[in-house]
Amino acid sequence: MGNPSGDLPEAVERRFAAGAFSSGLSVPDFAACLDMGFEPIGLVQGFCAMQWGWYTMGGAFRRGFSPYGGAPGDYLENYQCPHGMRSAEHRAWGQNYEQSWIEGAWREGFTSAYSRMLEEAIALGAHGVVGVLDTVGEISDLGVIEFHIRGTAIRVTGAPPSPVTPWTTYLAGQRLTKIFEAGYVPVSIIASVASVRVWASCITEYLLEGLGMSMWAANSGPAEVEQMVSARTAAREIVRAHARQQLDGDALHGVDVLVSEREFERGDMEIQCLLRGNRLRRFKDFDPLPVPQPTVRLS
Amino acid sequence: MTTADDPMHALDLKAEVRRAMASLETPAPYGGSTTSDLSIDEELNLHSIGWEPVELVSGLSVVSVPWGAWNWGQGEISAASEAHEQAFRYAIARLHNDAAAAGGHGVVGVHIARSVHPRHIELALLGTAVRPIGASVVTEHDVFVSDLSARDFTLLMVSGWQPLGLAYGASFVYAPRRSVGAVLQQRSQNVELTNFTEAMYSAREGAMERMQAMALALKGTGVVDVTVIEGPMPFAPHAVEFASWGTVVRRATDVHRRLHPRMVVSLDDPVVLFDARTLS
Repeated sequence: MGNPSGDLPEAVERRFAAGAFSSGLSVPDFAACLDMGFEPIGLVQGFCAMQWGWYTMGGAFRRGFSPYGGAPGDYLENYQCPHGMRSAEHRAWGQNYEQSWIEGAWREGFTSAYSRMLEEAIALGAHGVVGVLDTVGEISDLGVIEFHIRGTAIRVTGAPPSPVTPWTTYLAGQRLTKIFEAGYVPVSIIASVASVRVWASCITEYLLEGLGMSMWAANSGPAEVEQMVSARTAAREIVRAHARQQLDGDALHGVDVLVSEREFERGDMEIQCLLRGNRLRRFKDFDPLPVPQPTVRLS
Repeated sequence: MTTADDPMHALDLKAEVRRAMASLETPAPYGGSTTSDLSIDEELNLHSIGWEPVELVSGLSVVSVPWGAWNWGQGEISAASEAHEQAFRYAIARLHNDAAAAGGHGVVGVHIARSVHPRHIELALLGTAVRPIGASVVTEHDVFVSDLSARDFTLLMVSGWQPLGLAYGASFVYAPRRSVGAVLQQRSQNVELTNFTEAMYSAREGAMERMQAMALALKGTGVVDVTVIEGPMPFAPHAVEFASWGTVVRRATDVHRRLHPRMVVSLDDPVVLFDARTLS
């Protein structure tokens, strides 16, 4: 995640200077914070609204011309029609390709909101931000996406200001306590996205409609839809690769992967994978642990 | 266990936190990055039996169902059952490959996302590859796949058992049409529709038999944590489905190790809401 740039709204600075702290912590999480030697100092937030002006680049209007060439290093697979029969309706080729401009725009929106949240945390003199929540939603039907990231800035009681950027984590309360007890320290939240566009080939379309390898082979048995499997596998691999690039030797814990698919028109769809997790660094070896003692609760 | 016996509670938490924070001021010591969807509790559970997470892995498949397969007919809809079997087989094979490539000996906590459409069946598996701490690489044939959580995996291993893999079975069966006479006769009666009951029984036997055969092929003793999905298909109400899957297990030690769970009584009061009548 990127570093903040330093241009807080005047109202924010005035509110931060007022004295009383605000937080998004529940009472148990607040108590756990105090146990760890943290004091909450403010609810910090960052926003960014992005317009997806390039979302339809490479859309269906290009079908019929040559396949999209792809950006260097991006995932790209072409599927040629094996039938040799060409007509205006028949698909001469199909394609899976990574939409790196979507991934880049998403990364820019998320990173901007994240940096703005960190900027507020630094202004408060925070050592870290706990209990981070992020939401990504549409704020109009014009393709405008809003990124909103918020969390509770904390300071280690009695410690001098940290020379490094505040750490961040989705965790709070006892779950965060156990992270420290297990020998990990949070570094940052990690979020990445992968977007793969699928232009179904004739074979893929036939198989998804149950028609077999050609439109006359309706009675052939089940067959795997290779293009769809490749696209979905690629989306998951890309999102994991993007996350790994941000780890720099650290561990990624508690990963949550959300997969969404939407069809723009027949045979033209996007597969999007969103991965989020906590980047953790080991600061000591695991303490020897006893085998857990099973218990039965009498109630 | 007393507090002194428990290393997690013998820690000076505030001192540990300060030590952890200080470590952020120096560059990360290089180590192989690991990724996992396990919680810290699950990782601690794994660590307690000498295992560690390695990598988040996935396997998926999309298999077509031939056109017309769901039309009225008799007996099993073998094309759909076969498509279901293929989808599971291919996805699990890919999960094996992914896990072996990452250096895992098994995959735990596998989330199974399955959807049956009129013309195709989709399956997506996602889990965390795990291995005994520091263990060497094994081939994909020696990797096990399990939908048990890391906690359940730990419990299984502690009691002397081991997971061997996922067993699955599915059967889609037509519910035969009733005769016109039967429809007219039963129109105003509260009666069992034996055609649906028999179709469910038929689907169940087909699916369970397949799952059991897979467990035996894996040289397992049984299947635990079986998930069952059954009922009419939303897009073809005259067809019924029975699908099941679970983790095949076998005893790894000579005898089952009894766990002797300790009984605990929570001293927490149940939640009592304020009641104004208690004031009178």
